Amino acid sequence: MKTLGRSPIRAMFWLATVGAAFLVAASLLAKPATAGKPGPTTEQAQKLTASAIQLGRVEPPEDLLIPEDTRVSVYENVVLELTKTKKFQHIYRSGDRAAADVPDLIILTMIPEAFKAGSQKKREVTTVAGATSIKVKVQFTSREGKVLLEKDVEGKVRFYGENLRATYDLAKKVAALVNQSF
Amino acid sequence: MKSRGVQIFPGFSSTRNEIVRHSLLLGGLLVLGVGLVLAATAAPSFSRQSATPQDPPSSMIPDVKCIIGLEDIKPGAKGTLASLPTGLEFTTGKKKAEIAISSIQDVFTGQDTKQDVGGMSGTLVKAAIPYGGGRVVSLFTHSVDVLTVEYVDSGGGFHGTIFVLPSSKAEAFKNQLVALGAKVSKHVDPLGPKEQKP
Repeated sequence: MKTLGRSPIRAMFWLATVGAAFLVAASLLAKPATAGKPGPTTEQAQKLTASAIQLGRVEPPEDLLIPEDTRVSVYENVVLELTKTKKFQHIYRSGDRAAADVPDLIILTMIPEAFKAGSQKKREVTTVAGATSIKVKVQFTSREGKVLLEKDVEGKVRFYGENLRATYDLAKKVAALVNQSF
Repeated sequence: MKSRGVQIFPGFSSTRNEIVRHSLLLGGLLVLGVGLVLAATAAPSFSRQSATPQDPPSSMIPDVKCIIGLEDIKPGAKGTLASLPTGLEFTTGKKKAEIAISSIQDVFTGQDTKQDVGGMSGTLVKAAIPYGGGRVVSLFTHSVDVLTVEYVDSGGGFHGTIFVLPSSKAEAFKNQLVALGAKVSKHVDPLGPKEQKP
């Protein structure tokens, strides 16, 4: 048997090294092409811009009865969560006179569509029943009344937590929508 | 007879006298002790009764939880709620928030139930009890009142704040605010049963 010389081993080593480097380079190049490209282009096209937002009062339709504490909790939680997004220089409350002078103001309206009053006791004892949920239509409109974005958002509390936690969940989702859209 | 008895059983007589004296002393101490105990237990109730006519029962309500909606007050803070001639005041620790009577747009009251073992620590305890024992703990609840106040700030911005009060305190407090001049509209209770209320 004839043993291999040094040169073929070296050639094989270089071949493996070059191949590995090629694979690494190809994977690095492929990453932004697959994950990044389609995302930002479509998102950037839909992104809204505004320096200020005004939150309208949560007014349910006449046939939908929602407790006042739930309505107020939705409103206040959304104000808090909008502040946390840091997307706007000013967040105006409903009726704020200072909002009248803002040129690029966006108005956020939440129209309740469904409400299910749950029970914390039922939830925690049965773990399957007693969920509290509130579904609202979230509308972003311009000062002129043109609807810029509209989406249904639902807040829920399914297991642990007080019933008003559904409003906190809803506010978190509204803030996520703001983060996506602005 | 007395001298005779003393003469015949001098030791016995002195012992008997001592026993009588001791028993009288013990009896006196017992009566004093019972009196002190009764006085101690009765004193707070008397003081409470005497304090009641001076202060209206719900002008200052301790152990109130502010769920959300007051400027500079952390959501979920516990403190004292008071109705002053100028408005409503919530005090927690060193922080204080006030809502002027003129700015109040509406006041709502409701009822809810609260878990006896609640909060983050309570939830962890319930989750830690093996064999679903935490569910049994969840059965223990007590009723509370919910007070919702809608008001506007100096710029006209709408605010709402929610307080959780001890049971049967909210209606009286609302009446006090109304008496002071707070605006209130007619309400329809959207939910009947207490437990259904979120």
